Formats: sequence, structure tokens, C-alpha cells
Amino acid sequence: MEGLMKTLLRNIKQFMLDNPKAFIGIVIVLSVCLLCLMAPLLTEYAASARVGRPHQAPGGDHLLGTTRMGRDVWAQVLYGGRISLMVGFVAGTFVILMAMIVGIASGYFGGLVDNVLSLLTNLVMVIPSLPLMLVLAAFLDQVSPLVIAIIIGATSWPWGARVLRSQTLAIRNRDFVHAAEVMGESKKRMLFAEIMPNMMSILASSFIGTVIYAIMTQATLEFIGLGDPLSVTWGGMLYNADQTSAMRIGAWWEIVAPSVALASVAIGLALINFSIDEISNPKLKAQRIMAKFRREQNKAAKQQAAAPLTNAEQAS
Amino acid sequence: MKFILSRLGFYLLAFVTAVTINFFLPRMMPGDPIKSFLGRLAMNGGQITPETISALEALYGYSTSTPLWQQFFQYLGSVLAGDWGMSTRFFQPVFEVLGRGMLWTLLLVGTYLIVSYTLTTLLGIYVAWKRGTWTDSVITVGSVVVSSIPSVVMALVMYFIFASNLGWFPTSYAYHPSLDPAFSGEFIGSVAYHLVLPLLCMVALGMGNVMGMRSNMINQLGEDFIVMGWAKGVRDRKVMLHYGARNAILPMITSFAMSVGAIFGGSLIIEIIFNYPGLGQVMFQAMLARDYPLIQGYLLIMTMMVLGANFIADCLLFVLDPRLRTQLD
Amino acid sequence: MSKLVEVKNLCVDYITFNGRVRAVSDVSFHINQGEILGLAGESGCGKSTIAYSLMRLHRPPALISEGSIEFEGRDVLAMDDDQLREFRWKETSMVFQSAMNCLNPVKTIEYQFWDIFDAHGLVSSRDESIEKAKELLRIVDIPTERLFDYPHQFSGGMRQRVVIAMALALKPKLLIMDEPTTALDVVVQREILQKVYQLKEQFGFSILFITHDLSLMVELCDRIGIMYSGKLVELAPAKQILSQPLHPYAHGLGDSFPTLHGELQEMKGIPGTPLDLQNVPPGCRFAPRCFKATAACREQEPQLLQANEQRWVACLEPLKIASQAQQPEPLTQSHSEPSETTCAEAL
Repeated sequence: MEGLMKTLLRNIKQFMLDNPKAFIGIVIVLSVCLLCLMAPLLTEYAASARVGRPHQAPGGDHLLGTTRMGRDVWAQVLYGGRISLMVGFVAGTFVILMAMIVGIASGYFGGLVDNVLSLLTNLVMVIPSLPLMLVLAAFLDQVSPLVIAIIIGATSWPWGARVLRSQTLAIRNRDFVHAAEVMGESKKRMLFAEIMPNMMSILASSFIGTVIYAIMTQATLEFIGLGDPLSVTWGGMLYNADQTSAMRIGAWWEIVAPSVALASVAIGLALINFSIDEISNPKLKAQRIMAKFRREQNKAAKQQAAAPLTNAEQAS
Repeated sequence: MKFILSRLGFYLLAFVTAVTINFFLPRMMPGDPIKSFLGRLAMNGGQITPETISALEALYGYSTSTPLWQQFFQYLGSVLAGDWGMSTRFFQPVFEVLGRGMLWTLLLVGTYLIVSYTLTTLLGIYVAWKRGTWTDSVITVGSVVVSSIPSVVMALVMYFIFASNLGWFPTSYAYHPSLDPAFSGEFIGSVAYHLVLPLLCMVALGMGNVMGMRSNMINQLGEDFIVMGWAKGVRDRKVMLHYGARNAILPMITSFAMSVGAIFGGSLIIEIIFNYPGLGQVMFQAMLARDYPLIQGYLLIMTMMVLGANFIADCLLFVLDPRLRTQLD
Repeated sequence: MSKLVEVKNLCVDYITFNGRVRAVSDVSFHINQGEILGLAGESGCGKSTIAYSLMRLHRPPALISEGSIEFEGRDVLAMDDDQLREFRWKETSMVFQSAMNCLNPVKTIEYQFWDIFDAHGLVSSRDESIEKAKELLRIVDIPTERLFDYPHQFSGGMRQRVVIAMALALKPKLLIMDEPTTALDVVVQREILQKVYQLKEQFGFSILFITHDLSLMVELCDRIGIMYSGKLVELAPAKQILSQPLHPYAHGLGDSFPTLHGELQEMKGIPGTPLDLQNVPPGCRFAPRCFKATAACREQEPQLLQANEQRWVACLEPLKIASQAQQPEPLTQSHSEPSETTCAEAL
């Protein structure tokens, strides 16, 4: 058991050394998720209850101060994060499902299916999604976070679908898929056994990309005042702070708290995405190997400088 | 020519799709704008007469008497003719209201595109050239971090620090209100001064392109023709620019076309926060007043601008990629 | 015949996350002036890596860790950037594996010729470069008006000829051909190799010809080196390597290819798979697949040793040269006559 822990720790340490960016990203995102999940343990206040005097500065009873309505900002950040993260997650899932179905189907079946699906993809891509959401939101009057998530999902899948389509095409024409086809594997089995593993990195990065986009867009919509006033979210907090001129009267914590939360999730996710790209792209990988090699060489050179004899040998 | 024609056909189809969405969305929604208008009118003690209802029907293009498909073609016809209805907030034709805002949005987004794409492309080439070094890590990680900050957060923070607190930049308008639009140094200077902060904010948010250009460039550098360039004894700089970068910008143009919708969308929140009188600001007013014709017009005009930008990207690709150009022979 | 290129104890390593992998291990050979040397072996045996190293075109994560490469007595590995740039293409040029990908897709052929002349400061004006380029296109039988076309407008065979024209632009002393015809169909393949042979006779350069197609190689080359898992295992005159191989691997390779003329015979192939270079066992690298392997073979690594005047082999249990007494090989290599007839016959 102890040995297992040790290898686990060693693996984590190795991963951290090899992918510092991914590690930082994962730590940020995981801690924000954990904080939000454990909200009831971390604060005694409810998010939308009046629990103090208006505009109390951070410190004392209220870790991050209070809003004009006397609500606890720390509690709002924690509970609000749940909804913001949920929106991102739902939209992200929706997008990869859509992208997978449309992208792989059109790349794999080709012909008419491809033509129709590609046209659909291109159409959705050129219809600007934010204005479309505004129109929808305007007619629905006020939209709940879940509706926002679905709308974001429904309008942002084309990018992923396009990448997956070209990847499917490329993989489809590779020898091993042809070989599988000749060996009489059924098409369905082939899709999942042969093509899917090659797509994991694309799916992962398009999922994370959408989560970032969804969290950002939700914040934007709510900041404009289209959110559901009853649910506490990071975007909604910004809206309320802006509406009550928090900044002008010096209640900076009202703006800063949700801003930091939003930015840190987005940055953490972006760092993970960046690393996925770095790890999965073989051409970027070569460079990582060389960087590691140079580090090791520098270390060796330093060691050799300490032992002049071997150094001279090397020079000759 | 076939390429251009097929693209134009696609744009027409996309525009008609947007019009269709615009037409059917409000009719599928639970809340009828006429009813909601009447509700608000009644709440404020207004008189509701049959004339009011028919006037509203004319305003919104709704009707209970004509069949839906006929309404649709009427709507399509009037949209194509430039009759986009009346704004209920500004009491002016939607087309005019949007036209005014579009000028400033085009100025903001246009300058952004030029500044940002020049900067990020050059930076991308530079870091791909210096890949694996300290400069590379700092610039790439920096641009990933900066560009992933949500636009609301970035705009609010910049606004409060540089405009509101430090007072280095104006807090609203596109030019000083005491000036009259004129082709003078003073006026242009004022426009430029008002443009700087929103522009800076957008450029910062667009820094992610450095990553795109960098990986395009690194992908290109693995191609055989680059190795051949080196084998030929061509100077590094030339291999980098004429072999690597020249090919790496092609996918950048495609990705520009794909992201232009998001760019216009991003300008919305920037304009709202910096009180810049572009389309975003108009839209914000429209949203507050539930000015449905104007909101619908906004979707149409955004679609048009995205399609226009796509067309420009197509033309650029057509000029820059001989494979597209000579396919037709 | 004087030596044009001399490679001694060349080692090329690939850096991986799990440490270094030696892709080319202790390879020595030379190329004479006017000679065609072939390098054959299974894919991944390091033959292309050698080709790239000769021009120092190997890209990270590959690096030359040991050995020397001398070109007319000049140390290629010691050249600085400018010397190297001058050396490339002018002394040694290369025809790449895929003509499809080795031309810049967004520039005309004319521009890519001009690039060469311009980089080496050989022309004073664009017109002069155009004239020279047209001359080169004529040599490879491509209509000169196609000079201003883009690469994608050419067929595969034509494109490869354009690349050959480019390779000859500076009249190099050595032409490296890295599987130049793998992507082409057999007829075009023959045409192109015949053209190359003609040009070689005309200009007198040497060729390093790399392929896994042994039958093609035997017809074209003067001498052939056989590589296995990063090692040169046998080096011999072309005719002898198929008829009287010394190394069991060369024997196996010869048996796995059909001859173009001659009786149909059973093809045997070599059992087993190539070595995993990440994990090299002691002893001879071919031992696990070798029918003659002894206990000694699995312990002691054989060195490349001279077997007779023209032959080198790295094997502890070389095959007997049974027919040597009956069929003595001429000392001077008769390369031009027989190769040309075989090429012609094949067509």
C-alpha cells in the first residue's frame, strides 16, 4: 500500500516536471471545482440571503465582504461557481456529442451525407451565435442557466465537427482502417475501435474549449442583464455589482471576486488545453523532447565543469 | 470563378437561413411581443383599441389574418428591400439606427483585425523561430493566459483601472461630444483617443492567435519542402518567411473566417462596457427596451457582416493559395 | 578512383523521453568519384538518416553523436553555418522521397529555381535565372513553358523530374536520392532512373541511391551497402551481393525479391521482425532472425571487416563464397555497360 502511494506520488511528480503548464491548470481547475462543491462546508451563509450590512469590506465575518443587498460575496462566489461550471459542463458535453455525430458521420460516410452535413455545419458556423442567443434570450425574456447552456451548445459545435470531419477523413484513408475494412470488421466496430482512440485529444480540447466559451458567454449574457435574477452566478454577480455602481463607491471586492473566479477557471482550462495540444501534436512533441535533452545536457555540462579531466576529453 | 460563385451562393443561403430564423423564432416563442407590448401599455394605463393592435401588427409584421407562408415571403421581400421595420425604442427605421452603430463597430473591429492579426502573426512567426527558448515560453504562455480571460472581466478591469480610476482614457463616446464630425486633425485625434482602450482590450483578448500561428508554423517547419529549402542552401530567414510563414498564414485566414462571428460578438460586450456607440451599444439599448425589430435587425446585420468577412477571407485565400486559383483551369 | 565522400564510424542518435536511441550505429563507408552507391535495408534501418546526415539535414530530435563525414577531405561536421549553407546543394544535393511534398506549394517552379541560384549568388538577374532554369528543364524533358506553373499542376513523375532538374542546378558532385521513385508507378520509375543514369554519365557526379527495392538497385548501382537495424552489415559490388552474399541477412534480402528476368523461383523472405532499437540485445543484431546464428553471435558484436579487396562484411559466420573460383569478378567495376543494357531490357 505504501509502495503504491510512493509510485503514485512519483508519477505525479514526474508529470509535474514534464508538463508544468498542465499541472498548474489542473490544480487551478480542480481546486475551484472542489471549493464550489464543498460550498456548504466553507461558508455558513446562503448565497441569496441578506446576512449583513450592505457593502461591508472583506474581513471579519464576511471573508470577501458583502454586496449592496448585504449578501455574502464569498458564499455567492462558491454557490455561483456551481452554476457557472455546470453551464460550461453541459454545453461542453452537448458540443462534443454534436461534433462527434456530425463530424464523424460526414467524414466516414462521405458522399451525400457529407455534403448535407457539411452544409449544415457551415451554415451554423456563419450565423453569429452571440446575436442569435440575444435574440432568443430577448424573446424568452429571461433565460435560465440550463437554457443558456443548451443554446451555447447548439450554436458552437461546428468548429469541433469540422476538425473531427477532417481527422476522420485522414484516419479513414490510413492503412490500418483499410486493413480493418478488408478483414471484414463491421463499420460500427471500426468507428469505435479504430477511429475513436485517435480522436481523444481533439475531443478533449474541443470539450475544454467549449467549456471556456460557455462560461464566458454565460457571464456576458448575464452581465447584459439576460440572466435569471433568481439564480446566483458569477456573471450575475458582475451584473449586480455594475448595476449598483459598486466600483464608484469603492466596493471593489464585488467586482474583483467573481472576476478572479472567472479568470482563474478560464486560465486553468486554457493551460490544460495548451498542454493537450503540446502532448498530442507530434511536431510540438519533438521540440519538448529537445528542450528536455538540452536541460539534461546543461546539467551534464555543469557536472563536467566540476571535473576538468573529463571535460578536456570531451573537447578533443 | 466557379469557386467565387459557389461561395456567393452559399452566402445567399446563409443569409436566407438567418432571415428564416428571425422570422420563425418570435412566432415559436411563448411570449408574443404584441401581447407583451400591450401588457406593458395596459400596465402604464394606456388605451388599447383595435387600431393600436393593427398598428402594432403592421409594426412587427405580425398578422392573424394572413397565412404564415405568405407572411414569410412578405418578410423576406421587405428584408431584401432594406425595410427592416421600425425601432420601437428610437422611433426610427431599424436600418438607419443600425447603420449609425455599424460605422463605429466597423471602425473598432476593422482596426482590431488589422492590429491584432499583424501583431499575432508576426509574434507567432517569431516564437516558432525561437521555439524551445525562454522568449518562446514567456510569450506563448503569456498569450494563452491573457487571451483566456473572459472578455467581461478583461473589459471591466481595464475600464475601471485606466478609464475610471486613472482617467487616462475616456469613459464613453467615440469622440469628444463638443466636436462636430469633420475631416480635421482634432476630430480624427479624438476618435483615435477614444478608440485606444477598447481596441487594446480586444487585442489582448485576441492574443490567442499567437498560439495558432505558432503551431501552424511549427507544423509547416516539419514539411519536406522546408527541409528542401534548407538543403538548397537558402538562408534561414528566407526559409522561415517564404517557405514557412507564407504557407502557415493560409490556415490562419481560414480560422479568421471561422472566428469572425465570435469577434463581432466579443465587440458587443466591449462596446457596452466602454460605452462605445457601436452596434453593441445599440443592441444593449434595444435589449433594455425589448425593441424586437431592432434586436432582429441586429442578428441580420451581424450575419451580413460575418458573411462579408468570410467573403473577404475567401478572396484572400483565392489570391494567396495558387492551388485554389489554378484548380479551375 | 579517388574517394569523394568518406564516412567513418558515424553514429546518429534520436533523443526520446526514454533516453537516446541509436538509429545509425558505427557506420563507415566511402563513395568514389563517379560511382553509384546503393544503400538498402528494411524501413527504419537508418538508411535515410544517413542520407540526411551527409548534408547535416537531420532535424532534432536527431543528432550526430560520433564519427566523421569528409567530403573531398573537408570535415562536413566541422563546418560553420555559412560554410554549410554554401556546401549544401553546390557540393551535395538531394532528391527527396516524395516530390509531392518537397516543393513549396505556393511558389512557382521558376521561383524555386531562382531561390537556388540566388542563395548561392550565381546569377545577377532574374532573367538569367529563368534562362538557366529553362535549360535545366530541357535536360529533364519538361516543356520550358511550364516553368511558371505551380507544383500541384504537375503529375507525380513530372514533379520528380523537376526536382531532379533542381538537384542538378548547381552541378553538384554528389547526388543523394532518398527513395526517389517509391511514390511512382513502375514505368515512370524506370524512365526517371534511366534519365538519372544518363545525366550521371553526362555530368560525372556520384550518386548515393537509397531504396528498399533491391532489384532496382542491383541494376543501377556499382556497389551496394546492406543495412540492418542501424548497422551496415555488408558492402559489396552490386552484382555480387545478390549472387554471392556473405551476410545471412543479405542472403535473405536477395531471396525476398523476384528478379526481373530469369526463372521464377521460390521467394523465402526472412522470418521475424526488425529489432526494437530502444532495446538492443548484446551480440549481433541479426542473430535472433539468423539461420546461422551461434552462441558466439549472441554475445559478441561483429565488426565490419574487409573480406576481400572489394567486400566488407560484419558477420561472425559469413556464408562461403562458393562460386568465386569459377567466376572471378573483374577488379575494375564495369558499371556503365551492363547497367544500361539491363535498364533498356527492362523497358
